[in-house]
Amino acid sequence: MNPLKIMFLSALGLSGSWTMAHSAPVELDLWTIDQPGEYHYVMAREFDQQHADITINVRTVQFRDVVNDLARAVATGNGPDVTYIDNPDMALFAPRHLLLDLAPYVRKSDIVDIDRIFPGPLASVRFDDSLYGLPRGSNTLALYYNADMFEAAGLDPDQPPTTWEQLYQYAKALTDSSENVYGLAFSAINSEEGTFQFLPWVQMGGGDYNNIATPGAKRALTLWTRLIEEGLASRDTLIRSQYESTGTFNAGNAAMAISGPWELPRMSEEADFNYRVAMLPVPEKKAKRASALGEGVNTILANTRYPKEAFEFLEFMHANMDRVWNEFGMLPASRVEVKDPNFPQAYAVFDESMKYARTRGPTPEWQKISQTIQQAVQSALTGQVEPAVALENAQLKIDRILD
Amino acid sequence: MPRFKTGLMNGLIDGKGFDTTLVLLSLGYLLVFSAFPLIFNLIMSFQQVDLFSLAQLVRPFVGWDNYRDVLTRPESWPIFLNTVKFVGISLLAQVSVGFALALFFQQSFPGATFLRGLFLAGWIMPALVVGAVWSWVLAGDYGVLNYGLQSLGLVRDKIFWLSDPAWTLYAVIIANVWLGIPFNMILLSVGLAGIPDDLYEAAKMDGATCLQRFTTITLPMMRAQLGAVISLGTIFTLQQFDLFAALTQGGPANASNVFQYWSWQLSFENYEIGQGSVISMLMILFVILVAVVYVRSTRHEQAS
Repeated sequence: MNPLKIMFLSALGLSGSWTMAHSAPVELDLWTIDQPGEYHYVMAREFDQQHADITINVRTVQFRDVVNDLARAVATGNGPDVTYIDNPDMALFAPRHLLLDLAPYVRKSDIVDIDRIFPGPLASVRFDDSLYGLPRGSNTLALYYNADMFEAAGLDPDQPPTTWEQLYQYAKALTDSSENVYGLAFSAINSEEGTFQFLPWVQMGGGDYNNIATPGAKRALTLWTRLIEEGLASRDTLIRSQYESTGTFNAGNAAMAISGPWELPRMSEEADFNYRVAMLPVPEKKAKRASALGEGVNTILANTRYPKEAFEFLEFMHANMDRVWNEFGMLPASRVEVKDPNFPQAYAVFDESMKYARTRGPTPEWQKISQTIQQAVQSALTGQVEPAVALENAQLKIDRILD
Repeated sequence: MPRFKTGLMNGLIDGKGFDTTLVLLSLGYLLVFSAFPLIFNLIMSFQQVDLFSLAQLVRPFVGWDNYRDVLTRPESWPIFLNTVKFVGISLLAQVSVGFALALFFQQSFPGATFLRGLFLAGWIMPALVVGAVWSWVLAGDYGVLNYGLQSLGLVRDKIFWLSDPAWTLYAVIIANVWLGIPFNMILLSVGLAGIPDDLYEAAKMDGATCLQRFTTITLPMMRAQLGAVISLGTIFTLQQFDLFAALTQGGPANASNVFQYWSWQLSFENYEIGQGSVISMLMILFVILVAVVYVRSTRHEQAS
């Protein structure tokens, strides 16, 4: 803080203005996975401009290092005041009282109304009566499809597949191995992304992370295995991230792709065909919907020196929820009106899907369970184990982990 | 004070003080950067450790539980076999191809040294970059290798090098062999250059054939170099992590997983840090064994 600014601030303080409330300048450290120019950097800059007495120092942490770095920082007392945490990781930090309980602050807030937050994102921050963060935005999954290929294959582009069986039939009709075109692209990689893609299928089939061997889940994994074994999806589905898989869709090497809204900017540039978005197909007509919940949470560490100012910053970000779609490529995590959304057709579908988006977990053992699920999926897709057996083995392991 | 200063300076210059300082410095370095992490790791392998107790030393002691837990997991035996295969095949291919190339470049022909230098280009590249390049070469649908094999009519269907469990481990081995050959070649070239030419000339005059010269002169004279290359190669191969991260992440379904990558997964993806330490302890024990063999074999050379 330069001396001029201090003089200016103390002058304001002496003149008796309301900034007396923060008589000393406040510095908040913010950890984010964003790069300069992205969400947190923009939010911090705008907040800084409105609050002469608060400065926010933003630091980028690699997505995969967030949990490790935070745990180490907390252990040594060097943690930030405000930080991004991926939604399934919340359960790791929440029960340890490392995060500030926002419930008392929210009760007094005019800006945050938790009833407007979608149930999926809310479940990732609410633990009993405590509220350990505010979702900064969300994303979820849907089915992208190449309408031109639908027409060429004699399928009606206004009637995308709505059930699992239809998805399989469509994938079969659209696969053209002589042209290197697969029916469907998705990701079954052995990382969190693989679980992110598979779990909604389990949930649609009536199961969840702790109940993985239901008949519905077995049907889902059998369908995935058939897609791979019959060559309707590439074997490299097992090693491609969602972004890489959707890349093959953009290049015209897959007729449908399952992925999230983050694909849209690139797709609008790369895909030289007519593409559209549909809701994820369900097990059978009228079955319960489910979709994945991605993105993370704005949280305050419990040992911050400035809880009040940090919460003000969280409120500020929450109040800007209507901008996240157009400016930052995220879906709003609460009911807000988005004026003139970009990619309106896709927005309508993703916005509808958000109502069914469900959090992964919550459980502090999430990482182990997630890896168990990935292993089960991969061992079935590679034909090493029958899908049903793979899921039953996974259930045994999960029971042991949660025990 | 000046007196003390000269005393100290003298001590440093006359040798005794200097020697002691050097020994203390390197001893301190070893203690801080080698012994401490090793012991820390050893302790962790007997403790219940999670992310939040990482910075403490006092943690619940669990005896051999971590060892029992890791070694009874169904995946531990296949991963162990993968590790053996990975090290064994990589080493065999690296050393034999490296040796063959070293012999080849030992012949004098125009551009021999220049070409040998070019081979080093592969070795100075970071393994992550090498991994990224190989992942394009080996890609199943659009990879260069499949395209080549299919155009030549060697295979009919695409081989999914990185996602078919029958192939993935070999895909990483191919990349690792490519990465390791230059190092082997250079080290063995140095050894070859050290064999006096008159030995060969004398043998030639006695009527020894090419093969006889190789088995009776080259191989025995290269024993020390081969021993060094094999032991160092074992250690480098056991350290190979980047290629797994870039190519297969140990997948699919652990088909290409090895101890060094699994240890990292346990510690930093699953946060089962005690279990991860167990694997690294087992690897350390094995590496120490290799190091002992290496040191003993070179000591034998010096003595003779």
